[in-house]
Amino acid sequence: MRFDSFRQMLSYWARQRPDAPALRFGRETRSFSGLWEDVSRRARELKASGRTCVGILSDGSLACVTEIFAANLAGLQIVMLDAMAPEGLLKTLIRYTDVDLLWGDGELCEELSISLMGGVKDGAGKLLFFTSGTTERAKAVVLTDHSLCQSAYNGSEKLPLAPEDTLLCLLPLGHVFGFVCGLLWGLSCGACVALGRGARHYGDDCDFYRPTAVSVVPMLLGFLLRQGCVNPELGLVLVGAGDCPPRLLQAAAARGIRVSFGYGLTETSSGVAISVEGDPYAMEVCPDDTITLAEDGEILIEAPTCMMQGYYKLPDATRAVLKDGVLRTGDLGRFDEEGKLHITGRKKDVLVLPDGTKIFLPEYEARLMSALGHTELAVTLKNDRPLLVFVGQAEEAALREKLKDVMRELPRGQQLGGILISGEPLPRTATGKIKRWELQQKVG
Amino acid sequence: MTRQEVLEKTKKVIHDCFPDMDVEALREESVINTETAIDSMGFVLVICKLEALFDVRIPERQWSKLSTLGDVVDALYKRVEKR
Repeated sequence: MRFDSFRQMLSYWARQRPDAPALRFGRETRSFSGLWEDVSRRARELKASGRTCVGILSDGSLACVTEIFAANLAGLQIVMLDAMAPEGLLKTLIRYTDVDLLWGDGELCEELSISLMGGVKDGAGKLLFFTSGTTERAKAVVLTDHSLCQSAYNGSEKLPLAPEDTLLCLLPLGHVFGFVCGLLWGLSCGACVALGRGARHYGDDCDFYRPTAVSVVPMLLGFLLRQGCVNPELGLVLVGAGDCPPRLLQAAAARGIRVSFGYGLTETSSGVAISVEGDPYAMEVCPDDTITLAEDGEILIEAPTCMMQGYYKLPDATRAVLKDGVLRTGDLGRFDEEGKLHITGRKKDVLVLPDGTKIFLPEYEARLMSALGHTELAVTLKNDRPLLVFVGQAEEAALREKLKDVMRELPRGQQLGGILISGEPLPRTATGKIKRWELQQKVG
Repeated sequence: MTRQEVLEKTKKVIHDCFPDMDVEALREESVINTETAIDSMGFVLVICKLEALFDVRIPERQWSKLSTLGDVVDALYKRVEKR
């Protein structure tokens, strides 16, 4: 079903399937009519409060989801914050996004309340999600309940759920992939969404809720399969936000689980392409979206119904990536003979050396990983030369010896200029991507 | 229960979760993410098993601050002592 707003989606299913379960959280269950009543009541309270912008420190609970929908109905701007982020960062983000009300853990809200601002005038319908910050500072992306509903529709056109399905929502709602593919995908199909009970229950949520579908990041899929935590009813896994190695696909297939990949960005309200059948790495473009490739292979997206309004209070940054409705993604791709999209890399994962030589980091790092038999490493730039950041214990001389052959095969300019052996883990996003910008700052 | 006992039981849980790991080589100052085969999901698994074993709860916001084996033992021991 295509809905224009959260209000329309919730009220529709409250009329159509009033007693069917909409949300489950632990032993609590809310029917579609019960959810609609809770949301409407809370929306009236919020409207009466006079607040205009709520920061949600998401814990993924039923109360949290109710608050998000209620705030939207009440016309508040909603800022999705990561409750696990350091307090200093949260304070900065609260100030940046003009939050005048916080929802979440009481102690944390109290600690952060010192940063509350004066609210906004035109926040109705807006939901702000932060970019992963993989390659540069996190920016708040302005989406709307309309764009998010269209994204859920696009996904469900490719991968429909039946009202009898149970979708397990394991991912944080503060990430747009989790919000759309973990929550809205299910609700827009009239299915039940089982809200994950947090990281402690990654191992037993499948057994507890008996889902038929789940959205995960590759690392989580690996965990579920390794630990044998998947239930026999689980038939569909939607993987997004990262590369998924073939061995995971094989392990899932051995259990009779169909795996689909989704590709999208926060800026496009989540997925714009999804693999449906056959090769899981070959993705079909979603109905409302158009994808073309720039000369250098960069993926360009037109998504008129799902595109962000822009980066919050950052017009220059918006103009740098979004022009005439076309988003430059920074990702590289190709189309196969059937017109299906394959992701081949990330343009922003490119090091540009002073002589104009470009190093494609995933490929470069894979060679080093193979030579060293070690995966916790990254390459960045220092003094205009590639620097290997090796995480763990090792002797530099021994590393150099192991890399001798790889270095010989590379042009001089691309050879490593140094090795940094570090005891600190690489800075990574919640989905496991290396935060290149942060790494560069650390070593630079 | 002494801190040493908490340490030994913690190592036993790690060994149960990661049988291939040389747990005896682990030192209190060993950085879990980088000096062991325990990735971030493995860390969640270990912490959950330890919480169940000691019947304590370490808030999720504090997990990222548990860098070394000693940090984990301290966090557990502090809560075991308070019971």
